[in-house]
Amino acid sequence: MHELAIAQSIVEIVETRAAECHATRVKGVRLRIGEAIGIVTDSLTFCFEMLTSFDPTLAGAELLIDTVPHQARCHHCAKEFPVVNFIVLCPTCGEWSSEVVSGTELQILEMEIESSKE
Amino acid sequence: MPKVTIAQNILAANDTIAQEIQRSLAVCGIRTINIMSSPGAGKTTLLERTIERLRGQLGIGVIEGDVETSADAERIEAAGAETVQINTRGACHLEAHMIRDALAEIELARIELLFVENIGNLGCPAAWNLEEDTRVVVVSTTEGDDKPAKYPQMFAASGVMIVNKLDLLPYVDYDVEKVKRHALAINPHLRIFEMSCRTGAGLDAWCDWLLNFAAEKDEQREA
Repeated sequence: MHELAIAQSIVEIVETRAAECHATRVKGVRLRIGEAIGIVTDSLTFCFEMLTSFDPTLAGAELLIDTVPHQARCHHCAKEFPVVNFIVLCPTCGEWSSEVVSGTELQILEMEIESSKE
Repeated sequence: MPKVTIAQNILAANDTIAQEIQRSLAVCGIRTINIMSSPGAGKTTLLERTIERLRGQLGIGVIEGDVETSADAERIEAAGAETVQINTRGACHLEAHMIRDALAEIELARIELLFVENIGNLGCPAAWNLEEDTRVVVVSTTEGDDKPAKYPQMFAASGVMIVNKLDLLPYVDYDVEKVKRHALAINPHLRIFEMSCRTGAGLDAWCDWLLNFAAEKDEQREA
């Protein structure tokens, strides 16, 4: 995956929102990333730190990543099961019909800021 | 310290453009297919053979993505489809803004089916949403029969898999059934076509399916 491009998108979103709420510093950014997306979180963190290192508002902002497991729900027995190597076989009933219920997220959830209003 | 809720997809900028494209094409009654594969699996030849067979029955447009050269767009235009070449000059996948810019150069009134031939790459293109109506992944018998296992995101995200270059089976170690089994284990709803674009074997079934696909209207698609 393109950790640098994704880090750039995160920076753009955070910069826009920080300006909107008049933040003087961004202390942290929380992400939700699904296992199925295939992002290397160390690389993403490295790219984010590199991109923000000279930005007066974002420098030092910590990237916090909530990882979401790759899970599916079986259409036959309604049981949820972990998806391993993308194989969607239900381990409970052995059927092949299911829907992925988590693990494909690539979201920015929230940021923690310092505001000039404080 | 205050927390500010954002709750946004990180690639929202790309997704928004992709959704705008999809809406404007749907209004024109145009169906879109994003074709992906590793380099050399046969995407361009597949399009040439498809266009040669269907051009009298269906208005076909092609957005052709390559890192460099216009060689593929020239081949497809010669086959009889309106074509726009995108050269990414380094980017290994197509993004929605590239498609938007390319669409400005196509006479949409003449098109019913739009193909996007993505950059030859079994990895990244799967992650970039173009809001296409379906994705086609092409594998070929010269690539080894472990591609679904090695690149599962691509197969999970596709609606159709084409196994190409069947004519070369006598000369390679390739287990077609193994490829199909593993691809279906990742994506049980995958529709599979086996063919040789070189000999023409298997192209009839693919073209018949395409004609039905192009004819599907919004209400059928949402059902």
